[in-house]
Amino acid sequence: MRWILFSMILALSILSCGKDKPVPVKNYIQLELQPTFGALPFYMDSIYTSPQGYKVKFTELKCYFSLLGNGTTSLQQACLFDYRETGSLLLKQEADYSKFASLQFKLGVDSSLNHLDPSAFPNDSPLNISNAGPMHWGWNPGYIFMNLEGKVDTLIDGLTNPDLSFSFHIGTDAYLQALTFSGLNWQDVGANTRRCKLKIDLEAFLANPAQSIDLKNEHLTHTAAGQEALTAKVIQNFKAAISLY
Amino acid sequence: MKYLACIGLLLLFASCRKDKTTFQANPYALEIPGHFPDMIIPSDNPMTQEGVELGRWLFYEKRLSGNDSMSCASCHMPSHSFSDPHQFSTGIDGIQGNRQSMALINLGWDQFYFWDGRAASLEKQILGPVPNPIEMHQSWPDAVYKLTLDLDYRNRFFRAFGEPGIDSIKVSKAIAQFIRTMISANSKYDVMYKYENGFSLTSQEQGVLQSVDAEEWAGYDLFKSLNGADCFHCHNGPLMRVKKYSNNGLDATFTDKGRGAITHNPEDDGKFKVPTLRNIALTAPYMHDGRFATLDQVIDHYSSGVHGSSTIDPLIEYASQGGVQLTTEEKYLLKKFLLTLTDYSFTTNTKFKDPH
Repeated sequence: MRWILFSMILALSILSCGKDKPVPVKNYIQLELQPTFGALPFYMDSIYTSPQGYKVKFTELKCYFSLLGNGTTSLQQACLFDYRETGSLLLKQEADYSKFASLQFKLGVDSSLNHLDPSAFPNDSPLNISNAGPMHWGWNPGYIFMNLEGKVDTLIDGLTNPDLSFSFHIGTDAYLQALTFSGLNWQDVGANTRRCKLKIDLEAFLANPAQSIDLKNEHLTHTAAGQEALTAKVIQNFKAAISLY
Repeated sequence: MKYLACIGLLLLFASCRKDKTTFQANPYALEIPGHFPDMIIPSDNPMTQEGVELGRWLFYEKRLSGNDSMSCASCHMPSHSFSDPHQFSTGIDGIQGNRQSMALINLGWDQFYFWDGRAASLEKQILGPVPNPIEMHQSWPDAVYKLTLDLDYRNRFFRAFGEPGIDSIKVSKAIAQFIRTMISANSKYDVMYKYENGFSLTSQEQGVLQSVDAEEWAGYDLFKSLNGADCFHCHNGPLMRVKKYSNNGLDATFTDKGRGAITHNPEDDGKFKVPTLRNIALTAPYMHDGRFATLDQVIDHYSSGVHGSSTIDPLIEYASQGGVQLTTEEKYLLKKFLLTLTDYSFTTNTKFKDPH
């Protein structure tokens, strides 16, 4: 009996000494887009001063990016930036950061995706109509590429009383913009994650030296006929206001 | 040796233990319309045939109210697309609330519930009306006790959840399962939407398409037009609503803060959940407080009755002019389109009828 017990214990201890299989380490990258208003930190619904001296607050700040990658390796089909709902996070996924010293993507939804059935994208896709919500217009126009809404106080009287809404909804294939960033700085933020931050400067968006936006007189475009000039200005300024953080 | 005998005896007793009685419910196959997105089913409340059927019984169960006079269906009537034709619903004690009962249509795709979005799931929403003193006014323990006295319910709960016992969580889960089956996707608008977006149509749908007249198409164009009625910013797609809260210009000041009362953020004051427009012809009165008795009044509001305020939705583009300024003919066409959203196969579906 004693020998049987001894043999069993020995067998168990030998088994427990078996070398564990190495668990492969998963590496993640995290891409963020941080809004600012010039040198000021940005908060939704806070009051800022436009280049023309108007008090302005932003109530919606959303945009789509699509076909993210480095030119040869794809990173993600699309992501939805919705600062009120999800903050600065654009994407976090398993990937090797060293492959992405540069990043290319479209501001907006590429035409190859823009007119597909929005109900047919996977449930976790930002392009699924349940996730797109008001950012999808319909199959023909497709998605809203960028959505910037807010209020502006057009009376420079020392009182802050926003009296005019502004609403920039830019979409349709003609206004898709391409962006490329090189020399990305992927910071080690722990948990096998490397983070790169972009920023969107909303003061620069309004104060673009080539074509500033005067919210008192340029407060509405939904990419409709007759709104082409402001539509182009808005999407170009928005693109130009995005840079490495 | 003595110990071995004891162990053997214990094993013998253990093997004689009565098996726990369980039941495996049958999965329920939801039929999601081809032009709809997938419905996300909570992992802790999978759809089963027994659960859905139990939910139907409970939806019409008056014993859930304090004096056995009201069920969910009392304020969500099938003939009115599961809404209440009264401006405010009246509870068992004769007390009225201050909000209109929302229509129960395609709720399986919603992510927040009640006009102010205070419930984050259908299951949580369902837990609200039973103990609410101005609605069904009965504590959940009392409601559950009444159900427990009923052998049929004890069996139904057992079959739905695979174990004996009834509690409020199981009641809410069963009713949520039933409500997730309440899918409306068979209106004239659905055919228009499919046709517009290149879906293949069945021969029956081809027939419906032929019946869509020029005025209805013109009304649809107005509905989508930025310079027309401009409704589509908040009401579009197969669900005919977007996922957001909005202040649609009903008041300049707010007696009901809506979403703002939940978030305590002044930026949310006067904002309410954007409802679907499906079956809109059947769900009068309209708005969160049921202030408009007819569709004509609703159209008049957006045309010339909009009030500006600090939180008005920027998408109400012509708020400063009081609205989109529709002509009489445009109002007529817009209403023609709104009537295409009616789905009688939904309101007459026998699967949604009272089983009692």
